[in-house]
Amino acid sequence: MLAIDGLAKRFGTATALDGVTFDVRPGELFGFVGGNGAGKTTTMRIVLGVLETDAGTVSWRGSPVDAAIRRRIGYMPEERGLYPKMRVAEQLTYLARLHGMSRPDAVDAALRWTDRVGIADRRGDEVQKLSLGNQQRVQLCAALVHDPDVLVLDEPFSGLDPAAVDTMSEVLRERAAAGTPVIFSSHQLELVERLCDRVGIISAGRMVAVGSVEELRAGAAPRYDVTGPPAGWADVVPGVTVLEADGDRTRVELEPGTDDQKLLAAALAAGPVRAFGPHRPPLTELYRDAVADRPAGAQEIR
Amino acid sequence: MSGRGNSAAATIALVARREITTQVRSRTFLIGLLLMVAIFAGYAAVIAFVGAQSSSSSLVLDGAARDLRPALQATADRQGSTLRLTEAGSRATAESMVRTGEADALLAGGPGSYQLVGLEDVNPALGALVRDVVEQQAVDDALTAAGADPEQVSTLAGVGITTLEPADPERGQRIAVAFAVTFLLFFSVTTYGSAVAQGVVEEKSSRVVELLLSTIRPLHLLAGKVVGLGLVGLLQLVILGGLGMLVALATGMLAVPTAVVAGTLASGIVWYLVGFFLYATLYASAGALVSRQEELQSVIGPIAIPLLLPFLVAVTILPTDPRNGFATVLSFVPFFSQTVMPARMALGVAPWWQALVALLIALVTLAGMVLLAARVYRNSILRTGSRVPWREALRPTRT
Repeated sequence: MLAIDGLAKRFGTATALDGVTFDVRPGELFGFVGGNGAGKTTTMRIVLGVLETDAGTVSWRGSPVDAAIRRRIGYMPEERGLYPKMRVAEQLTYLARLHGMSRPDAVDAALRWTDRVGIADRRGDEVQKLSLGNQQRVQLCAALVHDPDVLVLDEPFSGLDPAAVDTMSEVLRERAAAGTPVIFSSHQLELVERLCDRVGIISAGRMVAVGSVEELRAGAAPRYDVTGPPAGWADVVPGVTVLEADGDRTRVELEPGTDDQKLLAAALAAGPVRAFGPHRPPLTELYRDAVADRPAGAQEIR
Repeated sequence: MSGRGNSAAATIALVARREITTQVRSRTFLIGLLLMVAIFAGYAAVIAFVGAQSSSSSLVLDGAARDLRPALQATADRQGSTLRLTEAGSRATAESMVRTGEADALLAGGPGSYQLVGLEDVNPALGALVRDVVEQQAVDDALTAAGADPEQVSTLAGVGITTLEPADPERGQRIAVAFAVTFLLFFSVTTYGSAVAQGVVEEKSSRVVELLLSTIRPLHLLAGKVVGLGLVGLLQLVILGGLGMLVALATGMLAVPTAVVAGTLASGIVWYLVGFFLYATLYASAGALVSRQEELQSVIGPIAIPLLLPFLVAVTILPTDPRNGFATVLSFVPFFSQTVMPARMALGVAPWWQALVALLIALVTLAGMVLLAARVYRNSILRTGSRVPWREALRPTRT
């Protein structure tokens, strides 16, 4: 298990991280979401040791992450980077060897991964001659080529075409299924919801929610969609807040202890009800609520 | 799992090997080699041309000046220069010979009215020779008229010139070797020093450095890069030096004993390594400060000044004045010694212990510079964006 515990980081007077704590378990796809400057990249860079933390620890299987353990992590930095003039296969072989692989193993792995992400025919080309999408595929190979024990990917889906998104998703699922903890950040919340076992939401340097999407939903106040009665009927019902009204559909949130049958009765009294049921908020909505709960003053920090 | 990592040495070797492969395969390496060969060939041609120019001149004599012919010929022979003398029937013929370039100058008139006429100017060596002969002629005439024996006076007026140190018959060749060594060292250190800076910036600007530093330590990356590029520079130095030596020995241009030349080349290699690593620390630090190739020139520009100064001293002062005091001092100062000391050694004016002292000073400086450069590199390498100020780059770090 990769345990991130109480990370804190300041840049000058700005607080970038303030007690960031969460775990990523073996075989788990963990989605790390948050606004720009919320602290995702800073957290990942601390995990990889390219940035020093002011406080807190990162540990893997109970021992603090050191240089030897970091060599077993696969990393995709937010700022993509490869040697532009190096050939694809050579570059991947080189990176694998830096991670401690023997030459034959490294050559083998470079062949295997270029094949897996569909750029086998570009192995002999310089990276700078590849399309942006294919460069991203090479970058994914660079994170995977040494068969890492942990994967840390910063925005792996940004800039990918739909086909590449599918490849990336498959590969990440595969790795997780093989028992590797995978943590990745993304702004594409639908994708995160579809893909991830658990999600962590960070806002202004603090974790505001961690858990499976179902768990996050369970923690939220119950919401209902009521279709039928003309708009405005629910405004006067006690314990009920109208979230949105779209034609004859009204979405409401119930305060704790409010009986949903009373809501139904009030709706029927206002007019014929054609649909009534609990609303399962998607991650997008859960995210918006979690972030909105935080006091304003979130600073833009990179 | 297979968590067995690399040792520090293995990591540095991996990085160095990548640098070597990339460089040797690049066009720059081959072009650099060809360029140097062209420069040396050009240098040799210029020397040959200048030598041919200065050693011979031609003079056409007109009128009474013809009487000076034996004296002129004798003086020229004594000085070891070739003087072609012709006689013209008239002043007009003599002038036309100068105009067409058949003769370098004409000498007309007689005692008291001698005139040396050139086309646009008169070769100073030729002028001096004619002046000497005319002067001697006048003195001899006056002495004879006064009843003295000119030959006796000449004997009494003679000064024997000898040297305490035996004259070095190979001095010209020594200068040529010193120049070649100086130039090779300057060229190699400049080329591969700036290659270090470029390599550092390339990794920063392409952002690959973050990926690398998530796996290996900054110091290992820097050490591998410097060692790799240093070896490529060494390879180039050995190829050029060896090639030059072979050609010089084969064509008989160089008659200095082979052992001397080989010794010069060997000490050149030692000095190259010291000089390269010293300057590489500067170039690597400068490269780490900026994030884009476009900004690089402004930070590595100043490094060229300490590189250029000893080079200029070695090629302008030393050939004419091998024991120059300023050059002697410079040959002990680190950052300058790697160019000036080998030049002084090639000229045969620096005893071995001086070279050893200069080398030790340079090595101690190098150790200090490596520590400083490592600090600057660590502090700056992951900071992208605007240029990192030296003050922040030099701040001590915790790790």
